[in-house]
Amino acid sequence: MIWLQRFFSWWQGGTWNTFWHTRRHGELVGHDEFGNAYYRTRGGKIHPDLGFERRWVIYKGESEGSSTPTGWFGWLHHIVDTPPTDENYQPREWQKPFRANQTGTPNAWRPQGSLYRSGQRPAATGDYEAWTPGS
Amino acid sequence: MTKLIVDGIEVDVPAEFTLLQACEQAGKEIPRFCYHERLSIAGNCRMCLVEVKGGPPKPTASCAMSVRDLRPGPNGEPPVVLTNSPMVKKAREGVMEFILINHPLDCPICDQGGECDLQDQAMAYGVDSSRFAENKHAVTDKYIGPLVKTSMNRCIHCTRCVRFTAEIAGTSDMGAIGRGEDMEITTYLQTAMTSELSGNIADICPVGALLPKPQNFRARPWELNKTPGVDVMDAVGSNIRIDTRGREVMRILPRVNDAVNEEWISDKTRQVVDGLKRQRLDRPYVRENGKLRPASWTEAFAAIAARAKTVAPEKIGALAGDLVSVEEMFALKQLVEALGSRNMDCRQDGAKLHPQFGRASWLFNTTIAGIEQADALLIVGSNPRREAPVLNARIRKRWRAGNFAIGLIGEKADLTYDYAYFGAGPESIAEFVSKTPKDIARPMILVGQGALTRPDGAVVLAALAKAAHDIGAIKDGWNGFNVLHTAAARVGGLDIGFTPGEGGHCATAMSNGGVDLLFNLGADEIDVAPGAYVVYIGTHGDRGAHRADVILPGAAYPEMSGLYVNTEGRVQRSDRAAFPPGDAREGWAIFRALSDALGRKLPFDSLGELRAALVAAHPHFGHVDEIAPADAGSIKDLAALGGAFDKAPFGHVVSDFYLTNPIARASAVMAECSAVAAGGYKQAAE
Repeated sequence: MIWLQRFFSWWQGGTWNTFWHTRRHGELVGHDEFGNAYYRTRGGKIHPDLGFERRWVIYKGESEGSSTPTGWFGWLHHIVDTPPTDENYQPREWQKPFRANQTGTPNAWRPQGSLYRSGQRPAATGDYEAWTPGS
Repeated sequence: MTKLIVDGIEVDVPAEFTLLQACEQAGKEIPRFCYHERLSIAGNCRMCLVEVKGGPPKPTASCAMSVRDLRPGPNGEPPVVLTNSPMVKKAREGVMEFILINHPLDCPICDQGGECDLQDQAMAYGVDSSRFAENKHAVTDKYIGPLVKTSMNRCIHCTRCVRFTAEIAGTSDMGAIGRGEDMEITTYLQTAMTSELSGNIADICPVGALLPKPQNFRARPWELNKTPGVDVMDAVGSNIRIDTRGREVMRILPRVNDAVNEEWISDKTRQVVDGLKRQRLDRPYVRENGKLRPASWTEAFAAIAARAKTVAPEKIGALAGDLVSVEEMFALKQLVEALGSRNMDCRQDGAKLHPQFGRASWLFNTTIAGIEQADALLIVGSNPRREAPVLNARIRKRWRAGNFAIGLIGEKADLTYDYAYFGAGPESIAEFVSKTPKDIARPMILVGQGALTRPDGAVVLAALAKAAHDIGAIKDGWNGFNVLHTAAARVGGLDIGFTPGEGGHCATAMSNGGVDLLFNLGADEIDVAPGAYVVYIGTHGDRGAHRADVILPGAAYPEMSGLYVNTEGRVQRSDRAAFPPGDAREGWAIFRALSDALGRKLPFDSLGELRAALVAAHPHFGHVDEIAPADAGSIKDLAALGGAFDKAPFGHVVSDFYLTNPIARASAVMAECSAVAAGGYKQAAE
């Protein structure tokens, strides 16, 4: 079914156009922990108009822009030139694993007092304690 | 009368007026912090400076300067006072700058914000920046009890609180130590305040140094809806302002009524608000197989109707409690009468007051304001400090004015004024009469419930009526016979005749098996013996609810509009500030609906119609805020009653001031106050 998806949707791992462009001009640099594939122009060819090599990502599954981890984000945006796969970066123990934007999912952040957070209405003005018979 | 000219306006004021009062007479507003109409003059804030022509060439504190001390002009023209001259403005700005030097910029986190005298007056006299680069002084906060929170950095040393405790409350709890910048207001050993009026110091504090502790950081004054109400915690009927936010009563403040409470209210009146949120009855309950289960109104009414069918009319009875409104009692009375019964009583404490003795026999006939005209007072079987702290403050006010002899028969207590002690029991009445000179112009006798709730209460009442006659307390233009009630509903109940009719049972008889079906309207201070089927109409899960077979949830006093009659017979109307919780309804509406279920439909469909019926039956309820004077002749008839009394000493009716009714017993703040009082007002563990 992937071939049919590539005809009609761009949000599931790219279109046929992207696929063929990547096959002809792209060079795989590496994969991140989510399975997203990162490419650059083959051999690091400089783009004549931009003046630097082009880098792109083909997402695994749904194309969620925020699912690029921090290290790959830096490489993708030309902040660094060494891809994370060539680096030996050890995260500190206080660093949490990277998560994509969870908005719109059940893991979305719910602020204090939100009904979705606890399933219970927080205390509000006008509340009272009702008496219940002990016997 | 003295003439003087204030800003070009000529006013004629009594010579004993201060300049500040004279300026107010001329319609000029004088800023002030330390001056308070009901306290002595301190003159230490200097904010009320005015310019006096012909006086010393410096501004004068108008609160401390008397009109009679002013000199007229060279040709005898009236003295001239200026309140808006450049000199006055500059002087007040200087004073304000000095006050603000040591006042923290706390307004955004201060509960007084929005109702702060300093904030308001800084708008008029403050400058936009400070020339003071040094550190502000820091003062440690003091513990002064569970009701008042201190934030002593904010204190501007006006000493209003010190003067209030010394003069009005009469306990001298607070004082100032240190001098100048180092002056600190404290209760010396950081004990809790012992006064029942201590909450008022948070009201008179012009800044946020003293704040009501239970309302700490809970609300801002501008988000509150203010509703005029009447207090039901004691029989004084203090005028209150009920502040609500949404459905919740946030706080209760006094309203000024010089005839009743001046501008003070007791701590119970003020801080009982959290009791309105706890232990509330919010749905009907029906007892089935010995257990109360939640029910619908229809089920509850059906259960009552089924029981009423099996009970003979003379076995039906009604009790009314201490906090209910006149309308509720009137509706219940109509219902019970429609059912064919005469068993009803509003005197759950068993006081021997009865309509047959005439209305003067249960009123505070002198009136509360009338205490200030009295020359002598005898207190019998009462501790007014616990039973009616605001009224006690009025007695103390009269006592402080001098030439006021006070006698006491009953339990000795610290009443905040000196008194001569005549004895503990009723036999001391004769001794008192023999020792009392006959030429006192306006003597008063104050009869407490401690003297009337005894089995021989009627005899004691007659003996005191006779004593009142013998010492000349009842004469033209002066009625010195006073009954001090402890229940807000009592006078109203007696006024509408909520007492046993011909052959009817009294409260004691009804609670001890005299009736088989008992409608208990909020009477929680009485134990009902097993056997009777009790329908409890009330607000809180207290003694009455535990004994009940059917519970119908009613509205507490801020949640309904109602008439209350205070101990002096003043009819006062309270407005509805909030709504009853859950399924609870106003009492009169419950009885109207119940009457339909019992097949004895009451003839009114709205509170307005009920009030019209009430006024038709008892015309004096049509005159709100007025006292219908009672005929003093009935006291003479009462005095002739005579009888032999028991020699037992008079007891007390209020053993714990803070826990006298179901609302107060549900309140955590009142429980804390009670614990602090029981522990001797020692310092709280920190």
